[in-house]
Amino acid sequence: MISIRNSSRLAVWALVLVLCITGCKSKKKAMEASRAAEKAKMEQEASARKQKEQEELKRKEAEEKAAREAEMKAREMKEKESGPKARLGQYFDAIASPGNVASANNSITEALALFASPETPVLIIISGSGAQKDYDRPTTIKAYLNYLKDQKKNINRIESLQVDPSGKVTEVELRKN
Amino acid sequence: MVKSTYLYMFFFILCLIGNLSAQTANVSPERKQAIDSLALEKVRDLSKYIGIIGNKKTAFAEATRVMDRAEELFAPESEMGVSSLNRKDIVYYKIRKYFERLMALNYDRVSIKWYEIHYISDLELQPDGRYVGVVTVYQRFEGESDDGLKYKDTTKKDITIYVERKKTQIAGRTVEFWDVMLGDIRVTETKV
Repeated sequence: MISIRNSSRLAVWALVLVLCITGCKSKKKAMEASRAAEKAKMEQEASARKQKEQEELKRKEAEEKAAREAEMKAREMKEKESGPKARLGQYFDAIASPGNVASANNSITEALALFASPETPVLIIISGSGAQKDYDRPTTIKAYLNYLKDQKKNINRIESLQVDPSGKVTEVELRKN
Repeated sequence: MVKSTYLYMFFFILCLIGNLSAQTANVSPERKQAIDSLALEKVRDLSKYIGIIGNKKTAFAEATRVMDRAEELFAPESEMGVSSLNRKDIVYYKIRKYFERLMALNYDRVSIKWYEIHYISDLELQPDGRYVGVVTVYQRFEGESDDGLKYKDTTKKDITIYVERKKTQIAGRTVEFWDVMLGDIRVTETKV
């Protein structure tokens, strides 16, 4: 009888021991799992932060590139506006506008300073494009500027200009509007 | 021998004309329209030049320069008809002579305006490769002197137009162009 009681007490203790051991083990496992989850979370956060930083860097680079391009475009536009083509166009308008002969002659003298020579050829396209262009009889810039003064009409737009290394215009191509 | 030389020359000229015609016949309606407009533009330019030459306010040097430019619009030896309500006949002058007379007119104020400028005969391709047409214009002339002398008339004039394909050298390259030249200007009607 005593031995039965002893053996049951032993079994209870063994059970308690087993439970303790199992409890410790699962606690350890839970701690490990929680540590791993924390680590994964930290890694994920670090990766997200890194990605965000890279995106930010890319955005900044794109912004800088766009700003540089806009600046370049603005510079090109400014150069275009103050370039020989634009200036010549302004002279054409001024010479052809209704005004006195003296003022037109002044504009002609100023405009001629843009050219390599008063005999610079002027070609006027009346139709066509590319290799198939129809021209009016070629003239010289001096004659053309006087034509604008006499006729008081500026019906041809500047198609292209040939410029020498010193920036002087050596050939003008116009197109009838 | 002489006969065969003439025969060769005849064929050469025939080929030349044929080649010219082929070059100019190959013109699309769009290109033809551009040539028509160009010719009309030359007539309008002439009308402006005549106004400047006739205007008593135009300085002599300017008038002379404009005469040179206006003369360049014409084919050599072209003539301009001049009529008057005071006489029946029409007098024809060489273009330069006409401009000089116009500049020297005995009025203190002269106004010359051209209007209703249009084709009465379209530009047509000729066997020699040229296009020929006729443009008609109305000219309103008004002359007035300080002593009260006045003269006004309106004349209808027909202008022969020649258009020819030509080549020239520009900066070492060959450029082909349409050369528009005005021919004789004949008076067909004179009225008050």
